[in-house]
Amino acid sequence: MQNLNIKIGGQAGQGLVSIGTILLRAATQEGWYLFAHQDYESRIRGGHNFFQIRLADRPVASWENDIDVLVALDEATITRELEEVKPGGVVIYDPDVLGPDAQKLAEQSNSIGLPFARMAEELGQPKIMGNAVAAGAVWALLSEDLTELHETLALMFSDKGPAIVQGNQQVASAGFARVRELLGERPRPGKPANPGPRLVLRGNDALPLGALAAGVKFMSAYPMTPSTGVTEFISEHGRRAKVIMEQAEDEIAAINMAIGASYTGVRAMTATSGGGFALMTEALSLAGSAEIPIVVVNAMRPGPSTGLPTRTEQGDLRYAVAMSFGDFPRAVLAPGDVEEAFYLMAHAFNLAEEYQMPVVVLSDQHLADSYTTVPPFDLSRVEIKRGKVVSGEEAGPDYLRYRFTADGISPRLYPGFGQGLVVAAGDEHDEHGHLIEDAETRQKMMEKRMAKQKLVEENALEPVLCGAEDAELMLIGFGSTKGAIAEAVEMLNSRGIRAQGVHLPQVFPLPQGLEVLLQKPARKFIVEGNYTGQLEELIASRFAWKPDGSIRRYDGRPMNAKYIVDRLPGGVCHG
Amino acid sequence: MANSGFVVCKETAWCPGCGNFGIVRALAKALDGLGLQPNEVLYVSGIGQAGKLPHYISGNVLNTLHGRTLPTATGAKLANGDLTVIAVGGDGDGYAEGGNHFLHAIRRNVNITYIVHDNQVFGLTKGQASPRSDRGMVTGTTPLGVYNEPFNPLATAITLNASFVARSYAGDQEHLARTIQAAIQHEGFALIDVLQPCVTFNKINTYQYFRERVYDLDQEEGYDRTDRQAAWARSWEWGDRIPIGIFYQIQRPTLDQHYADILIKPLVRQELDKSVVEEILDEFRIG
Repeated sequence: MQNLNIKIGGQAGQGLVSIGTILLRAATQEGWYLFAHQDYESRIRGGHNFFQIRLADRPVASWENDIDVLVALDEATITRELEEVKPGGVVIYDPDVLGPDAQKLAEQSNSIGLPFARMAEELGQPKIMGNAVAAGAVWALLSEDLTELHETLALMFSDKGPAIVQGNQQVASAGFARVRELLGERPRPGKPANPGPRLVLRGNDALPLGALAAGVKFMSAYPMTPSTGVTEFISEHGRRAKVIMEQAEDEIAAINMAIGASYTGVRAMTATSGGGFALMTEALSLAGSAEIPIVVVNAMRPGPSTGLPTRTEQGDLRYAVAMSFGDFPRAVLAPGDVEEAFYLMAHAFNLAEEYQMPVVVLSDQHLADSYTTVPPFDLSRVEIKRGKVVSGEEAGPDYLRYRFTADGISPRLYPGFGQGLVVAAGDEHDEHGHLIEDAETRQKMMEKRMAKQKLVEENALEPVLCGAEDAELMLIGFGSTKGAIAEAVEMLNSRGIRAQGVHLPQVFPLPQGLEVLLQKPARKFIVEGNYTGQLEELIASRFAWKPDGSIRRYDGRPMNAKYIVDRLPGGVCHG
Repeated sequence: MANSGFVVCKETAWCPGCGNFGIVRALAKALDGLGLQPNEVLYVSGIGQAGKLPHYISGNVLNTLHGRTLPTATGAKLANGDLTVIAVGGDGDGYAEGGNHFLHAIRRNVNITYIVHDNQVFGLTKGQASPRSDRGMVTGTTPLGVYNEPFNPLATAITLNASFVARSYAGDQEHLARTIQAAIQHEGFALIDVLQPCVTFNKINTYQYFRERVYDLDQEEGYDRTDRQAAWARSWEWGDRIPIGIFYQIQRPTLDQHYADILIKPLVRQELDKSVVEEILDEFRIG
């Protein structure tokens, strides 16, 4: 397997995302598969950030620690990241930004000094094109020629006019040539076989794409990292698909606007992160009581409070499941990768409408901001199920919004679509929707609503498995640890340990199928990104079960295979 | 309640003599007068005694949370512009819990009517001070009297360039019905703050108190309701004379108009066009 890790480090605002984006598009064009993750601070300028791309000749699901190519746009990249470079790895640095100590450090390695911005200027181009110089320099280590890189630059800068495109291509060529000249003929990875068209997306692209495919018509949100990408995506692309995205004054308004829209009969959503989700919880309870479908994306970041705003954690699981005050039916989904994010998001709208309830889709910064190569999404796989809806004629003039039915689902009528009136309320109500106080109706209405929860549980998404079926060791997780677990399982199997990965795309209600898996004789470990073991608690309370051990991370950084395997108890990882 | 004319329910949870009766009757009269049918109207309300109004008159109802009336009504109106959307709430609901939403609904200028039952006290929780309570008013939470400056919804709305700002009085159903009709016919966000005597908890701002003070701005010769400075000055008149009527009315772009390219017909009547989604997906295709 060909496998190459490129890390671009620099200050916020220096252009590392531009360099990373150019490279990941060009590499995909050339036929590579990739996984790219981002590590950034909660600031607009300065600090130290990185953009890391793993290229491979087959699909990859997570990141690796050892770096083949380090690109240093600032001094901290040299002082902090140098030790991650593999023996024989290459360091490309800008000598103009290094102090004498860092310069000395950089020169000790297999390194190339390229003054990116200065080179651009010397070629008569603006400093900002130093980014293309850096991209060209890295490209020289990947590819025999500049075709794909030039094509990518042409596409990315097409709206800025031919002069900008040509300028970028010119300086990228210069960076490319300079590295060739300095390193001489050096073995380069073979060109991967072109696997045909693919998408390179972040979770923050796949989730809104899934929503568009599901026919979302209304979104309202308040910006909050790391969920803002979802909101901006719908703002940018939704208009063409006739989707309204209204920025709200706060998260409370955001979810209530979406609920108002949903009541009238359109698919509606909002997106937020921990603190914003907290503000939305009151309205989730309203949606539960009034039986109004709503989909909420919560892109988790480490709490408590503002925590680490730009980093990753899975610490909102318990909160998302608890959701709000009072008992009402709900579902919580936890996509593990970009492809799953797309299809699960569409599924979330079906669940919300079929059961007329709130559905939370848990993402996190690692899923939100990480790029993965995926096959083009298949819209024919996106089935739209709008649940029980009656026409005005079917509803008649005496329509009852909360009619008692065998399965607890009362057919919806969209207000204004018939003679019948649609009365919805968060206060306890009768079949009409009007307010009541009596014990008997309250009990019946509660039982009607909660009957739906049973159906949601019966139809819960089954665990997604990978690795050995006759496993001696099992790793169980949810959400963005999916790729890390899959690669840990692969690593263990290659070492002769029969391992299986269990990923839970639905964390509430948990699927019945999980219980069967838990009865397997394998030693079981729960892998999750939080301190208290929230998934463990959820599974333990549902199935009266305890794992053999747990692997948790709560330093704000994402897991990968090495992190998991290194933490399995001694003896497990012999060989 | 069937869909034929606006019927007002006799059974309510309101106190006998409550100002709310005048409001719900005026609302029915206004809607009938405009020739609307109950299935064409959506009332969105929060929590409080005012929030119960939609249950006592025929129409579609979305009875939401305390303070959240306006965002919910905004979403509903954007999704189905065919509905006549009437947001209903109290002064605690709208000016305390929902204060932020009030400011931003005005900025958005969404095409809805907002009726505030302004009784200057919390009714449903039994008589605590509201943002509209007069200074010095002794309540369960202000045993030494209200010490905060009362909120002035009209001045706030005019300051934010709200496109329709009115006050009416629950004791004058004719005036209120007329004002509601003008608000519904107005293109944009229309605020009607309704002076509503609370017979149980507000012994200051009573029917008699208002009867002696209110005068109709609509009858004032020479009053120009497009003059923002004049409207603002009148909005501070609160003493021996209290103006009611339309203080301020202008035309400015509505939120619905901002989304005109999307709202070629109501969102709820639009089918999903998968080819557009394919087109967007194609833009992300590489190789």
